[in-house]
Amino acid sequence: MPSRALGLSLVAPALLTVAIFFIYPLGYSFVSAFSTSSGWSLANLQKAVELYRDDILFTVVIVGLSTALIGLCSIAIGGYLTLGENPRAVAVLKFLYRWPLFIPFIVAGQLMRTFLAKNGMLNNTLVSAGLLTPAETISLLDWRGIVITFVWKQTPFVALLVAGAMASLDRSTIESARNLGASRLRILWEIVVPQVRASLTVGLTLSFVTMMSVLSVPLMINAQSPTTITANMAFRINAYGDYGVANALGVISILLTGGVAWLYLRQASRDKGRAFS
Amino acid sequence: MKSAFALSGLLAAALVASTAVNAQTTLNVATAGDQNMVDYINEYLGPMFEKQNPGVKVRAVGTGAGDAGSQKVFERLDAQAKANAPQWDVDVAVVHQKITGKLVTDKLLANYRSTIETAPLVTNANAKAALGTPVEGYVMPMFNSQTAIAYNPDIVKNPPATYDELVEWVKKNPKQFGYNGIKGGMSGVSFVMGWMYAYGPDAKKLENGPFEADLVKSAGWTDAMGKLKEFNKNVTFTPGNAGTLDMLNRGEIAMGPVWVDMFYSWKTEGRLNPSMKLKLVGPGMPGQPMYYVVPAKAANADLAKKFVALATSPAVQAEGVVKRFNWYPGIDAKHVQANLDAATWQKLFTDVTPEELATKGRSFPVGPYFDAILESYERQGASN
Repeated sequence: MPSRALGLSLVAPALLTVAIFFIYPLGYSFVSAFSTSSGWSLANLQKAVELYRDDILFTVVIVGLSTALIGLCSIAIGGYLTLGENPRAVAVLKFLYRWPLFIPFIVAGQLMRTFLAKNGMLNNTLVSAGLLTPAETISLLDWRGIVITFVWKQTPFVALLVAGAMASLDRSTIESARNLGASRLRILWEIVVPQVRASLTVGLTLSFVTMMSVLSVPLMINAQSPTTITANMAFRINAYGDYGVANALGVISILLTGGVAWLYLRQASRDKGRAFS
Repeated sequence: MKSAFALSGLLAAALVASTAVNAQTTLNVATAGDQNMVDYINEYLGPMFEKQNPGVKVRAVGTGAGDAGSQKVFERLDAQAKANAPQWDVDVAVVHQKITGKLVTDKLLANYRSTIETAPLVTNANAKAALGTPVEGYVMPMFNSQTAIAYNPDIVKNPPATYDELVEWVKKNPKQFGYNGIKGGMSGVSFVMGWMYAYGPDAKKLENGPFEADLVKSAGWTDAMGKLKEFNKNVTFTPGNAGTLDMLNRGEIAMGPVWVDMFYSWKTEGRLNPSMKLKLVGPGMPGQPMYYVVPAKAANADLAKKFVALATSPAVQAEGVVKRFNWYPGIDAKHVQANLDAATWQKLFTDVTPEELATKGRSFPVGPYFDAILESYERQGASN
């Protein structure tokens, strides 16, 4: 068998899988988003924007805020793992921080639902510790709950990437900065973070896309309106059997994630250009 | 050579084994609804049917809670119909009212009711029409369920008896009433539908049809929705049907709409403070049946009919539906009552009396109004 045909036949199953289970449904969703019973139209998209404008904005703000917080938390974790001076604290942190990575979103949602409620575990603990009175407690089961869950769940993932990159840095830069008297915070911010920016951006981009697609957490935690795009897509299908508007929301959501991916690619190619110049 | 021989031997063995499996027929039951629906079939009805019909295995598949679960059943049947499959892989389905009309008009169901012996035991109007679409002959009600307001009598001494009184109460006790909006399950949807019956333009028309697009645009309609928006400002939103009961139980709210069967089941299981009570407020709140349907090309149609006949027999309705799962019977109550002791029967009607159920237990609005109310609700939410 000529090597070219062999190569093709080896890659065919994977290609076919991608084509059947990804490209085809994606194209189908796009077509459905732009067609109604009377032919091609923008009616679905129009309705999606008209009814769910606030929800779209809400999604972007919630996911954006979560991404920013995840970035800060993972830098803090990675930074301490790299620069921490107490070996016992470093070991404990190393052991603990990865745990949420192995918990599915839906389980995280269920945990937070009882943890963050008005009379939930968090508030009960604060009350019995004398930090709050029962009258002062508030339920965090709204947008704050979603942000807390997202940050809790996604930080380990980004921290894992960032800490890995930080660990493989040339330590001489850190040591020399320290010799010159720079504080640890300054070393982290001015020496370490710029060098691991690529890993950080990859982690944050992937987290953004993942969080955009989570349905279980907003359904379980946020009872208010507005809610996330995913919850509205599910509602459109389940309550009305309306795939058109649901797919239009999907298109909006892919445009948003596509925008983030584009920003990331632009940044990546710029970094590369700089490295070669 | 030797290995080829061994392989063919293995193959033969596998063939024998597979025919042995084939000798056992599998009855596929797809059920929408919460986990308790799957439990009901797997733990109670299935084993009973298997005992009566040796060689038959009942396999229950849950398709998910609420109308979403029913939608999945529809999609599965629709896909097989469009693919011209000679036999469909669902023998019995349990579905909600809303999708049933569509299942019938799309010719996905068998008109089987007249062929089973329990057919005359049902005279209820909801066996004739589902949210305005005629479905007579295609359905047998599995059970009826009802929504009502659950409340904590330690906090609420005199629960409101009507929507008007509820509105007043909420004004005086902000954030003490909680419901799950329209995206978190049917108990919230039901509360909103009841609201439209109370304040909307024409409750009778909403409930019985015919659909008139003008009504949706009328001042009365907008007014009712505006009032609801006002009302919502003093309400706590709960995450889902179970979320309302959870918050009630934790004392975070004092009142909220729930499904009666879920309320009683949670009480029985010890998941809810036993002192909680129910009140069905006037002019009424909706309830709905779940239907047993048999797909038009069910692979085991005869067995399926036998299964539904067993499920709607007075003994099963009494023991399974009323006693074990706290649902109101699907067939007429008088046929069921005789099979139950007075205490069990009374328990079902402790807080909501049969008279209240008859006068304030409404059905959901007809399909197009149903959708229109949900969309108006979304729109008024979007405009703030």
